Amino acid sequence: MFEWLEYEFMLRALAATSVLSFSIAPVGAFLVLRRLSLAGEAMAHAIVPGIVIGFVIAGLSVTSMIIGGLAAGITVALLTSLLARFTIIREDASLASLYLISLALGIFILSAAGSAVPLKSFLFGSILGMDDETLYLIGATATVTLVSFALILRPLVTSTIDPVFHESRSSRPGLVVHWFMFLVVLNLLGAFKALGTLMAVGLMILPATAARYWVSTLTGYLVLTFLFALASCWAGLILSFYASEVPSGPAIILVAGAIFFVSVLFAPQGLGFLRRRRPSPR
Amino acid sequence: MVLSANELTLGYRGQAVVSNVSFHVAAGDVLAVVGHNGSGKSTLVKTILGTLPLIGGELSWHGGVPSEIAFLGQRSEFDTRVPVRLRDIVEMGAWSRLGFAGRIDPAGRAAIEAAMERTGTAAIADTPLHMLSAGQLQRALFARTIVQDAPVILLDEPFTAIDQSTEADLLALIDQWSGEGRAVIMVLHDLSAVLQHCHAALLLGRGTARFGPLDTTLTPANLVDLAYLTPSQAAWQERMFSRDVDSLSGGGDV
Repeated sequence: MFEWLEYEFMLRALAATSVLSFSIAPVGAFLVLRRLSLAGEAMAHAIVPGIVIGFVIAGLSVTSMIIGGLAAGITVALLTSLLARFTIIREDASLASLYLISLALGIFILSAAGSAVPLKSFLFGSILGMDDETLYLIGATATVTLVSFALILRPLVTSTIDPVFHESRSSRPGLVVHWFMFLVVLNLLGAFKALGTLMAVGLMILPATAARYWVSTLTGYLVLTFLFALASCWAGLILSFYASEVPSGPAIILVAGAIFFVSVLFAPQGLGFLRRRRPSPR
Repeated sequence: MVLSANELTLGYRGQAVVSNVSFHVAAGDVLAVVGHNGSGKSTLVKTILGTLPLIGGELSWHGGVPSEIAFLGQRSEFDTRVPVRLRDIVEMGAWSRLGFAGRIDPAGRAAIEAAMERTGTAAIADTPLHMLSAGQLQRALFARTIVQDAPVILLDEPFTAIDQSTEADLLALIDQWSGEGRAVIMVLHDLSAVLQHCHAALLLGRGTARFGPLDTTLTPANLVDLAYLTPSQAAWQERMFSRDVDSLSGGGDV
């Protein structure tokens, strides 16, 4: 029953996703609270060509992946706000257009260049992909994210709840928001190997959305988001271990999806089917 | 004098919304800013906060730019679905003094409790944000403003969609701030009873401004001039106003 514990690749995957959960959970939590879930989704796809180009030029290295991914992310973010500001199209439509172009371009280049990485692993992740470099990347991502959160938590909370109040008392109000979007991209990059470029953002959004149904305090919310992310990763990896044709990304996201649906149905702030019905007044 | 404005031109990206804005606020003053939609009230708020650059004129802080302006914005910008409790909102008033990670000391803790007592929110301190009524939330935001302990307080339409008893409680607080020597600038959307608590008015409209004591600034002629009222509304207002004045002087019988 525990034979998955005897394989090194499995231990690596479990360790990597456990560390990843520590950093992707708070990022996802604030992405959901700031109503940026769809922007995060778009961003996850928009950075694909940057990664692919970095990969084609410099091979499968973490450095090329980070440089390419960050460059593509910043380019798409800038183009989106330029288009929204100077043309009639709103931000959501220009972001959607750009990320679709971006994703198509990424897959086109990857296929045309005859990649050494199978397309399926690239898009959906692989349980076998956790080499040393990936573990270092995830460790660094988690360190940068958690230290950043220690520094920006207060302004981030303030700007999420009451943006004009935040602007009224900060000399560089945009700084915290831009730094947060950098953390989003960094965590997406950290999650790519395990979950694939299509599924990575799911681990950011689903545990955070599910947790929101259960709690009313920020600490409780962050802790529960982490626990849901961790549980999704472990259960998903074990699922992918036994159903060896299933890539790890969809397996992890399906577990997160199951947690989400249970939360919707039974949590106090969801549909609340477990709540005791109040006797109706006569 | 705390703040004086001389012939300001306000607007966005060089495009003027309102010009000829002159006014001054002293410690203990409560200034009402009144005007029609689009008259530049929000533009003025952003300019005072320093988030919007001046196009022209001079805005001078006497005794230096205050380290903190306590600002309470419109509630439409406020997100109540974030999982925090009322107490956390009040604590936000102390965060800028604490920096990134400083803990709230016992004195600060006591100030937060006192602010919640003063605004009648101590009993609901642990209520999640999304369960609060509009009035309870506004009381919490006034508590946050108390905690900020700022020499200048800027309120943007603080009494919109608030019930009468909450409004009365919060107005008493504004009187108290005035008594403590704080300068209060308050944007009002309508000429409500709230005005009785103000010492001066800045009327914005039709791209220009008038400033002075309430009775010489918010005159029917000015209100029509700056497109705040139509002439027929002004005539009606005048009748109501003269009755009020009569009743205040003890002469009239309503």
